[in-house]
Amino acid sequence: MEHKEYDVVIVGSGISGSIIAKTLTNAGKKVLLLEAGLKAGIALDKEGSYETYQSYLDTYYKAAAKAPNAPYPDIKDAPSIDVLDLTVLDGKPSTDHGYLVQMGPVPFASDCVRGAGGTTLHWLGTTLRMLPNDFKMKTLYNQGVDWPITYDDLKPYYEMAEHEIGVSGEVSEQKMPNMGDNFWGEEYVFPMEKIPQSYMDSVLMQKTEGLTVSLNGKEYQITCISTPQGRNSNPNVKYKIAGVSWSEEKKQLELIRGDEKFEYRPKGALWDNYTGERCEGNASCVPICPVQAKYNALKTLKNAKKENLKIITQAVASSLMIEKGTNEIAGIIYKKYRRENSKRYTTEVAKGKIYVLAASAIENAKLLLASNAANSSDQVGRNLMDHLVMLTWGLTPEKIYPYRGPGSTTNIPTFRDGEFRNEHAAWISPLDNWGWSWPTFAPGSDVQAALEKGMFGKNLRNHIHDKVTRQFLLHFECEQSPEPENRVTIDPKYKDQIDNYRPVIHYNVSEYMRKSMEAAKKVSDQIFAANEIEDFTNYSKQNDPGYVEYKGQGYTFRGAGHIVGTHRMGSCKEDSVVNEDQRTWDHKNLFLVGCGNMPTLGTSNPTLTMSALTFKAAEAILKQLNQ
Amino acid sequence: MEHTYQEDSLFQQHNPKRHRLIRPVVATRDLDAPQLITTLAELQAHLQIAMKVELSTIPPYLCALYSIKEGANLFATNMIRSVVVEEMLHMVLVANILNAIGGEPAINTKEIVPTYPGPLPHSDASFTVNLLKFSPEAIQTFLNIELPAAQSAPPQPNHFHTIGQFYAAVRDAIEVIDAQTEGGIFTGDPSRQLTPEHYYGSGGRLIPVYSLSDALEAIDEIVGQGEGIDGTIQDPDHLLFGEDMEYAHYFKFNEIACGQAYMPTDSPQDPPSGKIIEVDWNAVYNMQANPSIKNYEVGSELWEKTNNFNKTYMALLDNLHDACNGKPEMLNKGIALMYDLKYKALELMKIPLGESGEMAGPTFEYIAK
Repeated sequence: MEHKEYDVVIVGSGISGSIIAKTLTNAGKKVLLLEAGLKAGIALDKEGSYETYQSYLDTYYKAAAKAPNAPYPDIKDAPSIDVLDLTVLDGKPSTDHGYLVQMGPVPFASDCVRGAGGTTLHWLGTTLRMLPNDFKMKTLYNQGVDWPITYDDLKPYYEMAEHEIGVSGEVSEQKMPNMGDNFWGEEYVFPMEKIPQSYMDSVLMQKTEGLTVSLNGKEYQITCISTPQGRNSNPNVKYKIAGVSWSEEKKQLELIRGDEKFEYRPKGALWDNYTGERCEGNASCVPICPVQAKYNALKTLKNAKKENLKIITQAVASSLMIEKGTNEIAGIIYKKYRRENSKRYTTEVAKGKIYVLAASAIENAKLLLASNAANSSDQVGRNLMDHLVMLTWGLTPEKIYPYRGPGSTTNIPTFRDGEFRNEHAAWISPLDNWGWSWPTFAPGSDVQAALEKGMFGKNLRNHIHDKVTRQFLLHFECEQSPEPENRVTIDPKYKDQIDNYRPVIHYNVSEYMRKSMEAAKKVSDQIFAANEIEDFTNYSKQNDPGYVEYKGQGYTFRGAGHIVGTHRMGSCKEDSVVNEDQRTWDHKNLFLVGCGNMPTLGTSNPTLTMSALTFKAAEAILKQLNQ
Repeated sequence: MEHTYQEDSLFQQHNPKRHRLIRPVVATRDLDAPQLITTLAELQAHLQIAMKVELSTIPPYLCALYSIKEGANLFATNMIRSVVVEEMLHMVLVANILNAIGGEPAINTKEIVPTYPGPLPHSDASFTVNLLKFSPEAIQTFLNIELPAAQSAPPQPNHFHTIGQFYAAVRDAIEVIDAQTEGGIFTGDPSRQLTPEHYYGSGGRLIPVYSLSDALEAIDEIVGQGEGIDGTIQDPDHLLFGEDMEYAHYFKFNEIACGQAYMPTDSPQDPPSGKIIEVDWNAVYNMQANPSIKNYEVGSELWEKTNNFNKTYMALLDNLHDACNGKPEMLNKGIALMYDLKYKALELMKIPLGESGEMAGPTFEYIAK
């Protein structure tokens, strides 16, 4: 098997790697998939997947800090970025705290899962499309760059992605700024009906929906809409897309429509389709859905054509072999470690006709830099982006009962687009259903504080019941603009235990971003006032790694877990790494997939857009293989 | 143009193979034998009994399931859970049939709520069903409940030996009485049907029943999942077991009892010969057999907790009752109650009963409103 040459070699089994693997194997191509994480993680059979997942749950329940990576193994041979490693830099780089080398001046604040299934294991599941104007930031607002493709170009691929993930949502409620007349196809519906909006949302919407707020001399009317998401609910009987398939004849991927009788069926847990057929309202979506009602990439991988797929786990891609002359990729060198955390490994080579890096934006960039590949534009590693999450929190006058239902079911799209993007970043505001747990570690910290005041027994219970049920969190995801100096680099000084590079990050928050945080706080103040929410927001220079200042005011950003932009797509090879097919300009048999391709971020969580782009890449790969 | 559907290549949905495991009814019916259920009223009564039979299997399964300590016996946990959700589906399927023929399912009355220890309702009482912790005895009971009917066993509406015989009699009666009744018997209010929209995550697809063929499909689904094959295999080369095979409850329990999984090539008459399954009978809360609130002093803490559990159980039955009697949308609301039931059961299983080394447990008792 080792000497065999495959049609395609993929690095990484997250959502983009899994979509490529599924689409290609079902089109009859032979695929080798390299996964850096542990062998147990890839189990797709009933028993194996059940055992692995129960062990994740077990680890999560026992973990003191319920961070996004808490349930998942962190392997020294393929370390994961972990938000718990974040520290206040205070002018000094952090070189020995966790996997990332943080050169600053501020730390990059997001993490991801390096293991089978990738970060879809801990994602929230929000599946918003980008807006048409997001693709034209340079032309419209003189910010960043334009995409080489438009919203309309991506539309059919969005439908593929929504099918693949299994999106629940209500199309008619998706009213967003400047979406145009034909944002959705005719009579388009999502595969499943919307996830019911939480009780908390219904209370907050009473005084927020239609509220007029003023910002920098202009007035805006706030709207609240239900959020489409990749978690199972009731199938929509009008949804008739049965699958995605490669058409030999037309040389393209097509959406297959089922007949009258076709019924969409939610994909439940890997181990039992009768588990997780619907969201049960557990609030632990991040880091783990106990019943797998939330989509994860292994559900996609499970539907790959088994006989065409070979998976090698515990195989950490290390560098690319480049053939002199043709400049084609000749192989991927990977290190196969024998046991979890063991320093012993063997070095092997995977060979195929085409290579696809799907290892996350940071790992993809690192691999390319380590191989001196795809970088004639000098853009590899640059333009690292994230949504800068600014949180505001307060106590509502009446009980709103957070933690009922999934993490977020409603968002405020009002500031996703507008003229203001000339001046400061746009944002989306999800209403979070997690009380103050993110910024203050509530409710544990509330119990701690009450104990210190000498409370106990019934008094303590009443106090917690009164406070925790009124904790409201508002959330501003500010679209980070691409900055060439926000970047991933490598340095021989910093390597992991099997001699692979650790990512070295240079990162800062531009004035354009700081200004958006100032603007978001003004909007937050007005929403809080209208709802009579007592503001407890506190940004601390001493304690918050993401603390920044603007006009003498402090603001704290947190990571959104959206690692984007390190190998941008563009319309010419001088200023971008891949073309619109996500093929590298420099190597005709090397494709990059994942959020690293996104030239700008928009205000939607990037997974859906990245999945749509990945279907486009899969189509280009099939075309190339069938030439 | 060649298209290959990518979807669901590994998931088991509407497994067509399953239906090959079902007794072909035509072959078993003795047309000369006297009809055993002869009127619509009798048929409705027997479907009501079927509800009771299905309901009576659920508490024993839940006791075994909940008694397994967290993280132990993963194979058995997953297996018992998959069976118990299928039993719940069966109950709802029976309710749909009963509603379709103008009946009114009762789920929360004293007559319906089963008591333990006791025989399966309406059976020949050849074995006793107890509420037991996860144990060899419990698995033996489950094997008895799910025992496949011998092919020669006649349909048997009363004093049945296997559940399959009982359903065979009901199935025959539905066909015959529908044919004999002018305009047919499927005249129930369609809005009383529970549909897949209302019911999910539990053992398969819910079939709404509007016609004879729907009703027969529903019965086949129940019998196919439960006892399944009847010891005769039409096609000896046909694989009955294996990863992609969905096989009947009896064989699932037999895997636990034998501590070994079936191989795709195994025959149902022989014990499983596949890989070893780890079964740890000790990683279990030592729940007392057949716990009852009657054993506790009225008003004591344990009495209160047990009473609370029973109240939740009754609330769940009330919810199901309402859902099956014209308010199908109520079913969604039952999910929180099911979680609540589990948490309360687990709490009881962690309470020691004096010095005996045994623990309390969920009693699943009827409480009058």
